[in-house]
Amino acid sequence: MEKPIEGEKKVFMTGNEVVAWAALAAGAEIMYGYPITPQNEIMHYWTRLAPKYGRMFLQTEDELSAGFTTIGGVMGGRRAFTATAGPGNVLMQEPMAMAEMMRLPVVVIIMQRGGPSTGTVIYSQQEVTLTTLGGNGEGFRIVYSTASNQELFDYVIKAFNTAWKYRFPTFVLGDGYQAKMREPLVIYDPEVRGISPVPAEPFLGKPGVPGVDRPPGHYRNTYNTEEELYEVIMGLARAYEAIIPEVVEFEEEAVEGAQLLVMSHGVVSRAAKSAVRALRRDGYPVGYFRPITLRPLPVEVMRRRAKEVRQILVAESAYGQFARLVKEALYGLQVEIVPLFRPGLGINPEDIYSRVQELIKGGEKGAGHIAATHA
Amino acid sequence: MKKPLKIVVAGEGGQGVQAVAEILAEAAYDEGKEVLYIPAFGVEQRGGVSLAYLQVGDEPIPAPKFEKADIVVALSGRAVRRTRQYVGPETIFIYDTHADVQEEELPKEAKRLIPIPGIEVARKELHPRVFNILIMGALIKLTSIVGLEDAKRALEKRLGHRFEKDPSLRELNYRALEKGMALVS
Repeated sequence: MEKPIEGEKKVFMTGNEVVAWAALAAGAEIMYGYPITPQNEIMHYWTRLAPKYGRMFLQTEDELSAGFTTIGGVMGGRRAFTATAGPGNVLMQEPMAMAEMMRLPVVVIIMQRGGPSTGTVIYSQQEVTLTTLGGNGEGFRIVYSTASNQELFDYVIKAFNTAWKYRFPTFVLGDGYQAKMREPLVIYDPEVRGISPVPAEPFLGKPGVPGVDRPPGHYRNTYNTEEELYEVIMGLARAYEAIIPEVVEFEEEAVEGAQLLVMSHGVVSRAAKSAVRALRRDGYPVGYFRPITLRPLPVEVMRRRAKEVRQILVAESAYGQFARLVKEALYGLQVEIVPLFRPGLGINPEDIYSRVQELIKGGEKGAGHIAATHA
Repeated sequence: MKKPLKIVVAGEGGQGVQAVAEILAEAAYDEGKEVLYIPAFGVEQRGGVSLAYLQVGDEPIPAPKFEKADIVVALSGRAVRRTRQYVGPETIFIYDTHADVQEEELPKEAKRLIPIPGIEVARKELHPRVFNILIMGALIKLTSIVGLEDAKRALEKRLGHRFEKDPSLRELNYRALEKGMALVS
């Protein structure tokens, strides 16, 4: 069968369309899904494209079912994925907790919309807590937060390999703006970039007699005693912590000599980067730092950078969900954390530029600041 | 900050607002520019004002939306009221003279107010269907984000299959473009 993308090519696409192409290029075999704005077009494009390349689609009755059928696909050895947003992401947490417990390589694309509840169908960064730590578990999952349609393409491809390599549920966290905006990017056949697919294999129905020809597969989400569960969770924790150094990703710029660091993630980091460049040009000692993995966070480098500055401005389109993760990572350090929170609203370079200018010019303490913790 | 050119186009559903932004975006993309286009989307299925945000520049676009636009095009009374928030002292505000709007509703703080009789000209001299192409002509004349030939190529790309069937449509669209340019020169 022909490849979905030969070589590479420049395109001008919406984020949702990009996700569908990336999933095809990554060798995803089946998508399970239930419609919700702003991710609907991922399904639309997938259902249009998938049959041409021998891939499959199942529309389920809700997101609970979409999550569990994705688990089923994965257990059957398929590169399976789903996509959702907002209230759908809430329902998705039940199956994702199961995937965490059983270490299943499911891939989920999230296009954040405004919340709580139905909120808006448009945009926010308010699904950070839910996506990084949702479910009745410990957050043993990997979350990439993308900033552009190019990154949506890159990280959707990467998510499948991360999931199948490390066997933890893997999320690509986008938002309604990225979902609906069109911008230029390069799509490619992963092979031309030296990326080969980590092979998928079935968890169930393997050949041979369990316990005789091969170790039996115990895929459980239910345990009888506290001690039994404790052992399993501690095993998961050790496995998760061991992969952190290999998995974490971040981007930084102008951190040398910075007195103030602007921290952001996802689409807001574009505005942050643009503002920091302008501030630097105008002589302000400001740096830019952006974790790409929100879970696990690049804690080591974040702490190193935090020690070099006096203040950190955390900019996010939520009321402190990302800041909470940052504060946990920086626990015990003497650095002031100043919020720029605009829940459900976009953040422009001018917003960051003027806030930083106020902070530096006035030698001002961040009004209503949430100091990180003290040593 | 090296800023991209920021444009808002707003009108009633059916006025072809999104098509204008999309074709312009395509044309600018084909010229190798950095482009970001996003429609406003919400829960309404019909009856809302249709808004398109378009940014064109030489460097990657820093944010999908923006506070103040360089150019606002409002094609109905409701669109005039809805787009006020994007108008600042540097904004060129173009509105259709046919828009149901009170004098005091116009954003006086704009750098320039440009009324154009687009709806009327399209209806009397062209065809109501190419009203949005006429608006596109006005926009390329004001912004020079793409040239006339680039715009024609982009039209060809999008509507070529229809032009094939009826070559007079091509001629009609080209005339609309040129007419739109003339309205603001």
